[in-house]
Amino acid sequence: MSTSHLESIKIIPKQEIAIVEIDMVGEKVNKLSTPMMARLKDVLQELTKSSYKAVIFTSKKAKIFIAGADIEEIKNLNNQEQVLKAVSQGQEIMNMLEDLPMPTIASVHGACAGGGCEFILACDYRIGSEDPSTRIGLPETQLGILPGFGGCVRLPRIVGLQASLDVILAGKLLPGKKAYKIGLLDKLVHPAILQEETLKWAQKLVTDKVGKRRKHFKSSGLINGFLEGPLGRGVVFSQAKKGVLKLTGGHYPAPLKALSVVCATIGMSDRDRAMKIEREGFAEVAVTEVSKNLIHVYYLTEMVKKQNATAAKAKEVKALGILGAGTMGGGIAYVAADKGIQVRMKDLNYEALGKGLKHASDLWKKLLKRKSIDRYQFRQKMNSVSIGVDYSDFKRLDVVIEAIVEDMKIKQRVIGETAAQMRPDAILVTNTSSLSVTEMSQGHPHPEFFAGMHFFNPVHKMPLVEVIRGAKTSDQTISTIFELTKKMGKMPVVVKDGPGFLVNRLLLPYMAEAAFMFQEGMSVGQVDVAYVKEFGMPMGPFALMDEVGLDVCVKVLRIFMKAFGDRVSLAPCMEVLEKSTRLGKKNGQGFYKYSSDGQRGEVDETIYSALGLGQPTNPHTSKECIERGVFAMINECSRALIEDRIVETPHEVDLAMIMGTGFPPFRGGLLRYADSVGSKYVAEQLETYASQRTAPRLKPSKVLSEMASVKAKFYK
Amino acid sequence: MKSPRDVVIVEGVRTPFAKSGTKLKKVHPAELGQVALRELIAKTNLDVNLIDEVIIGNTGNPVDAVNIGRVVALNAGIPQKTSAYTVHRNCASALESISNGYEKIRSGTMDVVVAGGTENMSQMPTLLPQKIQDIFDKLFMAKSPSQALPLAGKLLGAELKQIKALLTGNMKDEYFPVISVMQGLTDPFAGINMGQTAEILAKEFGISRVMQDEFALRSHNLAVKATKEGRMKAEIVPFPLPPDYKEILTEDIGPRDGQTMEALAKLKPFFDRQTGSITVGNACPLTDGAAMVLLMSREKAEALGYKPYARIRSYGFAGLEPERMGLGPVYATPVALKRAGLNFSDFGLIELNEAFAAQVLACAKAFESDEFAKTKLGLGGKVGAVDLEKLNVNGGAIALGHPVGATGTRLVITLMKEMQRRQVQFGLATLCIGGGQGGAMILETEA
Repeated sequence: MSTSHLESIKIIPKQEIAIVEIDMVGEKVNKLSTPMMARLKDVLQELTKSSYKAVIFTSKKAKIFIAGADIEEIKNLNNQEQVLKAVSQGQEIMNMLEDLPMPTIASVHGACAGGGCEFILACDYRIGSEDPSTRIGLPETQLGILPGFGGCVRLPRIVGLQASLDVILAGKLLPGKKAYKIGLLDKLVHPAILQEETLKWAQKLVTDKVGKRRKHFKSSGLINGFLEGPLGRGVVFSQAKKGVLKLTGGHYPAPLKALSVVCATIGMSDRDRAMKIEREGFAEVAVTEVSKNLIHVYYLTEMVKKQNATAAKAKEVKALGILGAGTMGGGIAYVAADKGIQVRMKDLNYEALGKGLKHASDLWKKLLKRKSIDRYQFRQKMNSVSIGVDYSDFKRLDVVIEAIVEDMKIKQRVIGETAAQMRPDAILVTNTSSLSVTEMSQGHPHPEFFAGMHFFNPVHKMPLVEVIRGAKTSDQTISTIFELTKKMGKMPVVVKDGPGFLVNRLLLPYMAEAAFMFQEGMSVGQVDVAYVKEFGMPMGPFALMDEVGLDVCVKVLRIFMKAFGDRVSLAPCMEVLEKSTRLGKKNGQGFYKYSSDGQRGEVDETIYSALGLGQPTNPHTSKECIERGVFAMINECSRALIEDRIVETPHEVDLAMIMGTGFPPFRGGLLRYADSVGSKYVAEQLETYASQRTAPRLKPSKVLSEMASVKAKFYK
Repeated sequence: MKSPRDVVIVEGVRTPFAKSGTKLKKVHPAELGQVALRELIAKTNLDVNLIDEVIIGNTGNPVDAVNIGRVVALNAGIPQKTSAYTVHRNCASALESISNGYEKIRSGTMDVVVAGGTENMSQMPTLLPQKIQDIFDKLFMAKSPSQALPLAGKLLGAELKQIKALLTGNMKDEYFPVISVMQGLTDPFAGINMGQTAEILAKEFGISRVMQDEFALRSHNLAVKATKEGRMKAEIVPFPLPPDYKEILTEDIGPRDGQTMEALAKLKPFFDRQTGSITVGNACPLTDGAAMVLLMSREKAEALGYKPYARIRSYGFAGLEPERMGLGPVYATPVALKRAGLNFSDFGLIELNEAFAAQVLACAKAFESDEFAKTKLGLGGKVGAVDLEKLNVNGGAIALGHPVGATGTRLVITLMKEMQRRQVQFGLATLCIGGGQGGAMILETEA
């Protein structure tokens, strides 16, 4: 062990009390890496032998208590034995902590997650600060693993069965107030007096000669008593299992494994046995592909959080303008104002503006109802959106996002008109899903201050924003929009201008392929169910087409045919669709039936005859259905990434597909999935389908064929 | 003569004014103010960091926003570092806010001040009568259910008495709730209602019912005309109506298109059933609304490249008998004139607040009376003759309404915008103030 780790955890004596300060050297955060654990073990051994009457654990980092285990180390665990060894060492240290002869208090300020949370669970008492940075929980299942340092065993004993399952299965961090409410914290105080209060408490423990706290709590209250009895336990578990299955579709083993660990260990008086069950559960899931993929996704999102788009420094955006108060404009207003940005919405008439305001207000009202915000916050958020039919306020705006009708001529005209009303150094952005940003920038007198932002619908739910760089867009403009996107709570991916940018360019062949399968006699239900149940997409291609709008799909496909020639083609049924009145969800007529409030119902069985086809015969296997759609995306992606350099890295592709289309995170993203099946297999299958189904559009691209020939991967 | 410390008005806007109990009734006055202030900034593209202070008039003093000036400022996105406060001078609260700003800029203390006012008369609360309040006080002190129970019984009995008082309409009953808007319009010194003070003026100055109704009709006709011809657009900012925002209010709710003498004649005198002449038709209605102006030193406005509407030449406040408060303008105007070194005949336009038609017409008579000037004002001769062609040319409070804490600023805005249209050099904004005062402000157009 390097000497620096001696500095990472220090014992500061305060008369009869030991204050243990955790301050990992050379890192911004405290994490339970192997050397840190080794140091911790030494410290605990020293404390065990000492005569201190109480111990306080505290962090010297500003907004972090302990962020968790070292994810890099988990990522590198590849076989069960290795895992079991690592985990049992961790468990042993937590047991040592629990078994210290004197009472222990964790004094928590800042993030306390995963292993950090398990650390405080092994202490006798927990006091936390009210600071918003104090967030406590067990997010392990989000990474495809489960709490393995005794979290599954200790948490139910401290907060009760139901509350512990809520924390473990959802994997969300709790704010201090909530943690206190469920009993995870014993005390909650203002951050300014946390140290003082902790010390007072420790001193009181010493003077009152209060010993260790018993871990085998009797459940409190009648309801909890029932829930934790043999009968109630069964009910709680089966309910929890149903909930988990509903959420995960059975694609995520970790929450189920966590559930079974809690189930098997609750009420168990033999700690060693309980720990064994927990670590075996952990080892089982930690080596799975799903866990590796989820860790990959975690790194993708962390990368964006820390990354700058370009070397140029982003400008601060305090006031944002939005042109057009439609669904997109209203949605953008909501996400921006929600994060404290002042928003000015402009449209041609007050009726449209009223709808935009209502859109935002309705979303905040939902939060109000859920008590995520109070009425004061509601008013503040609502107040920060103002409206106008003229350009007043525009000189004050740092960025304006145009979200008007998708028409190049109109957009160019409005962009010129708007730019004239803005400060010369302010940035104008178009929100478009299909038009060329470079061409549009001809409407702007200074195209370096012009870029694109492709928001996905519904804006408040979809985390991805494609930040589109036009041919003349400056680095500073890109950096500013990249940071603005993050400030709005969204995930930016910078893409080069080009038809469909990245996400739609990949989705279109996928939807087009579904239409061909439909033409060949596949039923809507068969295809969609295969994608959802077997592959794990949030919705199948037909449901997706309905969401996007059938008219839009055909329109964009035609644009693609123009841009990409042969490799895009329109199934004959799509041409029939083009002439019909079916628009999808927006007019309640599509591949599915819709209720009056827009909820998707059953498949509309009249769709087959309406598009000139007989009843479906379902000639293809679900494997073929999935492969044709997904491999078509991979095929297109090989061109977009390698030939056209729409984005620079496979990481960006995967992030965009997960955040923009809900591509199953447990598969790690489109290209990670491609790498897992191998470029050779993908190319061969595409070849096969191209000839079997006389579909030259499916022929592997030149770059994909080259990759296949040397079995290359997208990730180097 | 121009000076860098002259105080200029860069811009002024107001919300639509809506008769109480109509479309703005559920909007908190802080929200009314918020929209007006936010739009003032939008219209001027002002960097909010430059604002030294926000001063807001208000009389209703809402219990959940006691320093409503600060609440308006924060709601409107004014930085937290910027000071903000509320002023109260009854009907002239929003003239008081401007005069505060004027003094601070004139003295060199500040350069940029937002002044204005906000009022929601629909929301002035109904309070518990003392009798019931006493029971509540004891209830709050009760330490056990056994102590509280008999008090709860007492409360129930008192509530029943209150219902009886409400059903019989006996407002003098000691269980009748306290309606704060009515209390506010009752002079606490003389013990009579504002309407009754106007009745006194009608009788003493011989203002007949017909004269009053004709003046009221004129107010409506002029206000309707100004609205139709788009002049009101220059001062009104749109107000999005919560909770559904189906409507964005862009016009006043008050001016009646097609008001007639016949309709006005049908109304019964409200304050003096026997011998009175003042009706709800020839008095201003209770109203909800807000108004804001942006004041700057001349040098600051020039540095920022603004072209102000007008410069404030002077202002004046003066007191008189509370029961004749309606004559306040006649007392205050000479004070402002003296400070400005101008004569009444210099005014090309006058905005004189129309609390009551009788009160405006009585003012006109008093302005023109040598005797009134000598006996009441201690002047050598009359203040000046009021030319109706120059008075309230876009209608007044009888049509537009009088949201008490906001009216002073509304008068200044309407005046300065009309002065610019007509290329008038000097204008007067003046009003009477409940409690027996008058306020006046003199503007000079910026060439």
